[in-house]
Amino acid sequence: MSLRSLFLSSPIFLAIYLFQEGFVTQLRLPGGGLNLLLVFAIIWSALSTPEIGALTGFGAGIAMDLSQTSPGPLGHWTLVLIIACYAIAFLGYGDDNIRGNPINIVLLTAVGVVASQIVYLILGLMLGQEIGSTGNILFLLAGSAFWTAIVSPLLLKVISYPHANIFGSRTQI
Amino acid sequence: MRYGGDNRGRLLIIVLVVTALFLITLDLRGVHVIGGLRTGTQTALTPVQKAGSWVVSPLRNFITDVTHLGRTRNQIAKLKDENDKLRLILQDRKVADAQLTQLKSVLNLAGKAGFKIVSAKVISQGSSTSFTQTITIDAGTSSGVHTNMTVLSGYGLVGVVKYAYASSALIQLASDPAFRIGARIAGSQQIGILSGQGTRKGVLQLLDNTTTVHKGDALLARGSENGRPFVPGVPIGQVTSVSNSPGAVTQTADVKFYTNFSTLGVVAVVVSGALADPRDALVPPKPYPTPLPTVTIYATPGAVSPSPTATK
Repeated sequence: MSLRSLFLSSPIFLAIYLFQEGFVTQLRLPGGGLNLLLVFAIIWSALSTPEIGALTGFGAGIAMDLSQTSPGPLGHWTLVLIIACYAIAFLGYGDDNIRGNPINIVLLTAVGVVASQIVYLILGLMLGQEIGSTGNILFLLAGSAFWTAIVSPLLLKVISYPHANIFGSRTQI
Repeated sequence: MRYGGDNRGRLLIIVLVVTALFLITLDLRGVHVIGGLRTGTQTALTPVQKAGSWVVSPLRNFITDVTHLGRTRNQIAKLKDENDKLRLILQDRKVADAQLTQLKSVLNLAGKAGFKIVSAKVISQGSSTSFTQTITIDAGTSSGVHTNMTVLSGYGLVGVVKYAYASSALIQLASDPAFRIGARIAGSQQIGILSGQGTRKGVLQLLDNTTTVHKGDALLARGSENGRPFVPGVPIGQVTSVSNSPGAVTQTADVKFYTNFSTLGVVAVVVSGALADPRDALVPPKPYPTPLPTVTIYATPGAVSPSPTATK
């Protein structure tokens, strides 16, 4: 882990953030759509070490908290993503059964995205937020899992290339 | 080999989590810097979002259309059904309005004369293939309608009840070629026989050749004994032309019926006549010509023509 790697990663995340806020949020995809930055951060973490995963989660979380569509306090998504990205990176790190198999990464990403959202909801409840009906929550979670499963295989190839260039070719899929 | 983590890694995680919790605390306590961060981000993102909206809108519309395809079809079908129903209601309303107008006018006429009437809707127009002019109404003997009763519209005579059934009745129209009625000319009280011709025009044959009839004279029913088949004083029509043949035994005139038989919707059957003959009271007023405003402009050659001036 070096500062150079972090500085190189930042523009990529910024571009993804702008794309998410400027374009993806306006597509109004059925089933609640997806958060590209969240998927991107989880996949990035799945390919990284736990420290990088945690830092990735921190950066992506701050960006998501700064989004106008985020109802929670600043730090809400940050906390969730630090834990989620660290956990994803921790699960995959050193296990070639996970890292070497794109299907496992896609599965891990889909589970990670849904789990992050569930933790976000629980944390939101603890912070006094209104979360709506259970049916709607389940619908949104299912939609999120669906879209993540659709997008992850496409993103994986795109992400693995810059990730390998920044952090070393060992993690390239 | 599985990653077990080291002190540096643990410290990083702790620092990051504490930072996140610190941020949450600051935000929940309403620190302005945090709010300013979000506002600044949104300000910076607005141009990107505008551009994104412009680029994405065709795709978004497409996705929305695809997503709502089934629902849109159902909605269109539902709206079409609703539209048809509303059209039907509107049509019924128009018919009802027209019938109401007719009913009002026939009630006015009957009320003016003091007739006791039974109002009825025209439910069928008789076929003219047998060269008769008839209508069927939805009132019959159960409503007090019997044969040989006078039938009125808001304008005047319609015809006479030819057959009465339990809940309907067949009306012979005044335009029927077999229809005959004793008529008198309003004012001069000259009498004659009016016969239908199969159209809205009838022919009046005066009984006295020495009397004169003029164009525009109004004809009224002379009335029958006990008011059946015709009650007296019912307006029939207006003289449109008079034929004065020197060799003719009797004078004849063409009469245009007041009632338009093709637009009958509601009629009234006179079940009981007035106590006294209404005489000429039911003659419709002659149309009063509406004066047209005229403007006369005098122009004097050489005079200065007025020009528009600006007023404050």
